[in-house]
Amino acid sequence: MRSRSAATLLLGSGLKDVYSMEGGLRAWNGMVAHGQPEAGMAYFSPAADGEDIVGLAWSLEEGSRLFYQAVSEHFNDDKETQQMFSWLVSAEKNHEKHLLETYESLTGTQPDFEKLRAKFSDSLNGTVMEGGIPVKEAIAWIKGKGVSESLELAIAMEVNAYDLYIKMSRVTEDKQAKQIFEKLSAEEQVHLEKLASLLDDRI
Amino acid sequence: MGVLDYFKSIPTMTADEVRLFLSEKLPDAYNLVDVRQPREYERDHIPGANLIPMAELKGRLKEIDPAKPTIVY
Repeated sequence: MRSRSAATLLLGSGLKDVYSMEGGLRAWNGMVAHGQPEAGMAYFSPAADGEDIVGLAWSLEEGSRLFYQAVSEHFNDDKETQQMFSWLVSAEKNHEKHLLETYESLTGTQPDFEKLRAKFSDSLNGTVMEGGIPVKEAIAWIKGKGVSESLELAIAMEVNAYDLYIKMSRVTEDKQAKQIFEKLSAEEQVHLEKLASLLDDRI
Repeated sequence: MGVLDYFKSIPTMTADEVRLFLSEKLPDAYNLVDVRQPREYERDHIPGANLIPMAELKGRLKEIDPAKPTIVY
């Protein structure tokens, strides 16, 4: 009902192309993100340039990779699960590689990741993975948890990253940075579909 | 808004249509507006959605680009 009222108000305000989603979020059986509207956006200042953004995104991807690595070692008596998280480790590595390639094709130069990582270590307060969760906390959390819970955490974290990248692509002023966020969000989408199908296999 | 407006036909999309639409478009090509309350948004929202609670919508129309298609939920 609220979305119908909203659509009516928007149409009455002169907008032409307005749709209300039938059934609202209750009808939505796709991925959902969590957190406040500005969650995570403080990491990326909208004015930041392409190099800064790639560096920061790369740091977050690295955090995710370290987390998946730890999860894969944690489930070392479960071959299938271990393989699953090893796959995620390589997916994150691939993502980092894509970031590097994106950066190179946009700027024609190679970023100095070590320098960038040092630059962001203060604002991130240690190693943080996608979705802004400290890696240490996440690793402590999975101890004693099952496979599907760990996959759910991975999905929640990736969806939040996806949400963040979409929003950042809208608010970022720098043209190159905008392109980077668009690419990142498209890649996250692929990533998430795979994660979701892995979870489907296990539940 | 008059009570009769509720009976006007409002263009709708099913959740599946929205999912397809979002997957085919760049985030910059549409407005996706969550008109629920902040607590509901915090609990769960469609990735990339902008939160503009229903009660604030009228005052925040500037945040919605009229040149792009708009989906509300």
